[in-house]
Amino acid sequence: MRIAITGATGYIGQRLIHAARLAGHEVLALSRRPVIEAGVAWQFFELANATPLALPSDIDAVLHLAAETRNAAGLDLTEQKAAQLLIDAAASVRAAFVFMSSQTACADAPTAYGRIKWKIERATIEAGGLVIRPGQVYGGPEHGLFGVLCTVVRNLPVLPAFVPAPAVQPVHVDDLVVALLACLAREPSSIISVAAPEGISLTAFLRAIARGRTSRCPVFIPVPVLLLRVTARLLGSGLSRKLGLERLLSLFALQHMNTAGDLQHLALMLRPLSSGMPRSGRGRRELIREGRVLLTYVLRTKPAGALVQRYARAVETLRINQPLQLPELVLKAPALLALLDGSRNIDTNFRCELDWRINAAVMLAEASPQGASRFLDIDNTGSCFRGTVLIVRACMMELSRRFIRFLLWPVLSRVGRKGVYW
Amino acid sequence: MTGTQPVDFDVIIVGSGPAGVSAAFPLVDAGLRVLMVDGGHGARLVPPTGQYLNVRNQDIGNYDWMIGQNFHALSQADAVSPKLRVPTHAAVFEGFVSANRIVADNFVAVGSLAPGGLSNAWGCGVARMTDKELASFPLKPSEMYTSYAAVAKRIGVSGGYCDDLSDFFGLDEWSHGTVPIDNLQNSMLMRYTRSRSALMQSGFQLGRARVAVLTTPQTQTDRQACNLCGTCLWGCERRALYSATDDLQRLHGRQGFFYRPGFLVEQVESQGNSVAISGVGTDGAGVLRARRVLLAAGTLASTRLALQAINHRKLVAMQSCPTAAFMLWLPRHLGRRHEPAFGLGQLSFTLDLGADIQAFGSLFNTTGIPVSEFARHVPLGKRYGVDLLASLLTSCVVGNLFLPGSLSNVSLQLDEDDQLLIWGGYSAEVEMLMKEARHKLRNSFIKLGALLMPISFKVGRPGTDIHYAASLPMSAKPVLGQTDQFGELMGTAGIHVVDGASLSYLPAKSHTLTIMANAERIATHVATNMVLIDN
Ligand SMILES: Cc1cc2nc3c(=O)[nH]c(=O)nc-3n(C[C@H](O)[C@H](O)[C@H](O)COP(=O)(O)OP(=O)(O)OC[C@H]3O[C@@H](n4cnc5c(N)ncnc54)[C@H](O)[C@@H]3O)c2cc1C
Repeated sequence: MRIAITGATGYIGQRLIHAARLAGHEVLALSRRPVIEAGVAWQFFELANATPLALPSDIDAVLHLAAETRNAAGLDLTEQKAAQLLIDAAASVRAAFVFMSSQTACADAPTAYGRIKWKIERATIEAGGLVIRPGQVYGGPEHGLFGVLCTVVRNLPVLPAFVPAPAVQPVHVDDLVVALLACLAREPSSIISVAAPEGISLTAFLRAIARGRTSRCPVFIPVPVLLLRVTARLLGSGLSRKLGLERLLSLFALQHMNTAGDLQHLALMLRPLSSGMPRSGRGRRELIREGRVLLTYVLRTKPAGALVQRYARAVETLRINQPLQLPELVLKAPALLALLDGSRNIDTNFRCELDWRINAAVMLAEASPQGASRFLDIDNTGSCFRGTVLIVRACMMELSRRFIRFLLWPVLSRVGRKGVYW
Repeated sequence: MTGTQPVDFDVIIVGSGPAGVSAAFPLVDAGLRVLMVDGGHGARLVPPTGQYLNVRNQDIGNYDWMIGQNFHALSQADAVSPKLRVPTHAAVFEGFVSANRIVADNFVAVGSLAPGGLSNAWGCGVARMTDKELASFPLKPSEMYTSYAAVAKRIGVSGGYCDDLSDFFGLDEWSHGTVPIDNLQNSMLMRYTRSRSALMQSGFQLGRARVAVLTTPQTQTDRQACNLCGTCLWGCERRALYSATDDLQRLHGRQGFFYRPGFLVEQVESQGNSVAISGVGTDGAGVLRARRVLLAAGTLASTRLALQAINHRKLVAMQSCPTAAFMLWLPRHLGRRHEPAFGLGQLSFTLDLGADIQAFGSLFNTTGIPVSEFARHVPLGKRYGVDLLASLLTSCVVGNLFLPGSLSNVSLQLDEDDQLLIWGGYSAEVEMLMKEARHKLRNSFIKLGALLMPISFKVGRPGTDIHYAASLPMSAKPVLGQTDQFGELMGTAGIHVVDGASLSYLPAKSHTLTIMANAERIATHVATNMVLIDN
């Protein structure tokens, strides 16, 4: 598909372009700054400067991610108008239109931000487009609201623990991106909510940031929400907007989203916060460990360091979901991977990804010196007896693998299930 | 006689693959000014040098040519053929589908923008069509004869060896010696001679494959003879395997021949007495004019350009051979060591299926094919799959099978955005025929000491054969969307289709030599006519 993306240089936009390219789509970036990346075309686009635009006729979908997050007044109408122009431009080339909205979107939202999003949502749906409402986006590079929260957690000596604590529904930026691409193919409904079905408290979310992104163990002091409301009232709406108090308060007005149905329609399995939060440096370490396990499984011997590095780099370059959450036991004894390899019982998404990675490990291993001797059977003496023994052995091992897998079925069927290992 | 617009060339040939280069020779020989363009871009990686087994053991850049610095082989993990995963061929296939605006549904669309086209990666199987097969062509079979001879001699064909497939291939009079056969396939051939009459009665015939590979060096070019180095899958560093780039090199420096790589043709249009091609080159967009244009961009790309030229937006049919692959096991050879062997077809067979349907296939040595190519199909845990294959493959042979193109069900249509839409499929009887073929092959090969491995027989998706033809067939009474006996497109003037698109019929046998001979025949006619007019 040929996809046009606004907000291409933003937090979600950058990840989206990467994922779209991996999935084989062609991308047209619509942004103020040129995007220089192989396979990505660029066209100037400015949200604050709502003028009609012409899209190339071969665009299949327009994903509108650009948003005005600064609290400058007077932009309300421009943003809406820019969205309408985009909707029209998409319609004139018969492209699908997807609008990245927000959980705060509501006709009477406490912030202008939420109200504008709601209006654009209406216009989108009227034109037959799709609306995506993400929960609290996190993970990857520290941009957007997630970036702000990271900075806060890193720098403030103490953190507020609001009482009663508002609930957030997190979604990893790369899971959101997968959802965006999937909704083009599936179109489950006109408004699609993408976030963890169960919310967690903001305090728990901040703690997860502290654990995953800093070496700090933060101190929380309770702050009654009532106090904030009173302060905002006293300051008046203009000043509290300037101080960001209004935006903060909007967190407490968030409606819980029922996301389970949409996630199921999109066949999307969200990663748990604990595996999505760590920074990619740590992901690298885990990928190295994963590579060592998979390559040992394939090679029957400890793989060379350079080969493991290649594996890690390949996964980083080609896959979206980073380290695979393998059971601890398998990490310790790679031979046990035989119980998961190709198993029908384990979670489908997990299985597909595992298949891809084992296959990649086979190809990478074969291209290495260790692989040459194993795959070409260098020790072969040309004896028919030896050949028979090896073949019988391989078949016996396969049979016992199947038998053990059958016995362990109840345990294995849990592997890869949401929140357990993935 | 140059018409209203000044023309830049006498003839422009779009495409430098086997069809394009074959058309170029007669035109250049006649003293015409000929421009050849192709969409080529990007440098190719060099294939490995030396004996395959040595290169693998000594790790001579293995990672670079087996996987690729940008993980090419892994990013193509789902591609249908090992050739598409090979990093040294990445530039052959890259960008073709999107540059030529092809959108395929249930069809694997493969094409090339490289100098030399798909012949950089082809299997080099060659054959001549029999008079019976040429019956649906609007020409006398004898008219093709001289062109077949010219092309076969130019590219070099191995297999001059009188056997049961001599008539089927029809090339022995122009071919040189065969490539040495490996031990496994030799044992099959020996056994074939013993049970020959029974097998022939059941409709199975076996013989050496005829392949565009040199077994003696070619003196006019610097192509060397095959030395069984076994790196065929990655490309032949000795250039023993024919590629159209060899002919491109010969054409370079010939008086009147001009070559412009990296020019992607987007439109061809007949304007009065000239034809204009417009497209984008390395130095921006441009229009080039000639008295005639020959389309040799590969069947899919040429079809799109042709349909666009006559603004034909109705469905047109295309043929493509239903195909299958399988593995044979020769138990008596169990435990053998890998031996250096030729990596392309060594033995070929024909198989009669029902009334009047003849299937064709070839057999290949497994040494030069990565084990991971097989491991992906073996229903064992990968660790044990590799254990098994490492010991088993040395006594295995792999094969492919093609059915005639008339059994495919492929439609093409130019949509309002000038994209070429393709819908693929097989006709209903293919499923039955494939079952019958599997059954007959099992019974035939067992007589040759080879077991057809139970689940190994797999039917490929439509398009995986990469034999696409007959979308703009030559016809004695051409209508819109067809071509005349010289490939000239109906509904416009001066545009000839000289690649697979203008073949009238696609049998199961290798079709590229026929494409080349037909291109040479058409170009000879065009040259004669143009020279006549000029004088
Ligand atoms: C893996 C594989 C194995 C094969 N094995 C065999 C075999 O054993 N026997 C056999 O007979 N055939 C085989 N084939 C098929 C064979 O390669 C093709 O039939 C043959 O190459 C077709 O030649 P062509 O000149 O018509 O087109 P191509 O080889 O496809 O060449 C097309 C040319 O046109 C140019 N071009 C394309 N689009 C444009 C454009 N828009 N503007 C400008 N230039 C353009 C390209 O740059 C290229 O130079 C195989 C193919 C593959 C991929």
